Amino acid sequence: MPIKGGGLDRKSKASSEIPSSSLADIAFLLLIFFMVSTVFRTDKDRPIEWAEAAATEKIDEKVKNILNIWMERDGTIWINDQEVPMEEVSDIVLPLYAASERHLVISIRGDRETPYIFLDQVQKELVSAGVVRVVFATALERQMTGARR
Amino acid sequence: MAVINQKKSKVSDEIPTASMADIAFLLLIFFLVTTVFPKDKGLEVVLPEEGEQVEVSQNNILHLIVQTNGIVEVKRGESTSVQQMRADDIETLWRTEVTQNPNLIAAVKTHPDAPHEYMIDVLDALQLAGAERISLQVLEDF
Repeated sequence: MPIKGGGLDRKSKASSEIPSSSLADIAFLLLIFFMVSTVFRTDKDRPIEWAEAAATEKIDEKVKNILNIWMERDGTIWINDQEVPMEEVSDIVLPLYAASERHLVISIRGDRETPYIFLDQVQKELVSAGVVRVVFATALERQMTGARR
Repeated sequence: MAVINQKKSKVSDEIPTASMADIAFLLLIFFLVTTVFPKDKGLEVVLPEEGEQVEVSQNNILHLIVQTNGIVEVKRGESTSVQQMRADDIETLWRTEVTQNPNLIAAVKTHPDAPHEYMIDVLDALQLAGAERISLQVLEDF
């Protein structure tokens, strides 16, 4: 006895819909990834233009142990969203440095046009606060390979 | 007649899970928006401790004087001859100088009015050349 319709009307068992039961799993996976990797910013960025350097390296320290000192073009200093007079920089850094058990790394984020005298004053303030590790924040300078050497 | 007791309760005793994915996505979008990936990079230097000053023989010092226009004046020790060059050329200069004198110290003296970008350029060149003993100073007699 021949099969009715040549077997063509047999119902396909494969569903034509995208399975959505794992959607929540994917959402939770991404959620956990972002929850773990999120670092809430401690201070707002100041509008500065970065100096560029080819030897730029990542700072090898935990984010909570990095203190940003923003230095604007006119020499005003900002620490943790507050404008700080130059001579009070060491007073602010000293307790933070002690609280971090001397692990604190200072990232000096200066505008590329800031006169050097301000940077020198900040360095002297940091030396008097006893800070040893300082990073001049820079953007990575992309250079043509072989063009410079 | 205990009709009341036989009536099935329509209230389910399970927590509704249909909106679980919505909640997950809501939180997901919140964290996506608030995430800031740290951008902490730069040139690391080690500052001297207070009072830690070392007398260095002039023969071991290479003076790099950064002027306001970005020109670097190179002076060796006590000699008065000055060589002018661009910050980019410091890298090769340091490599050749340090093979002649392994104890060489780079003294970067920057003009107080020079944009600190030029000092960064010199520091960059020195770090690329592998210099470890660098002194950062402000230029006093100009």
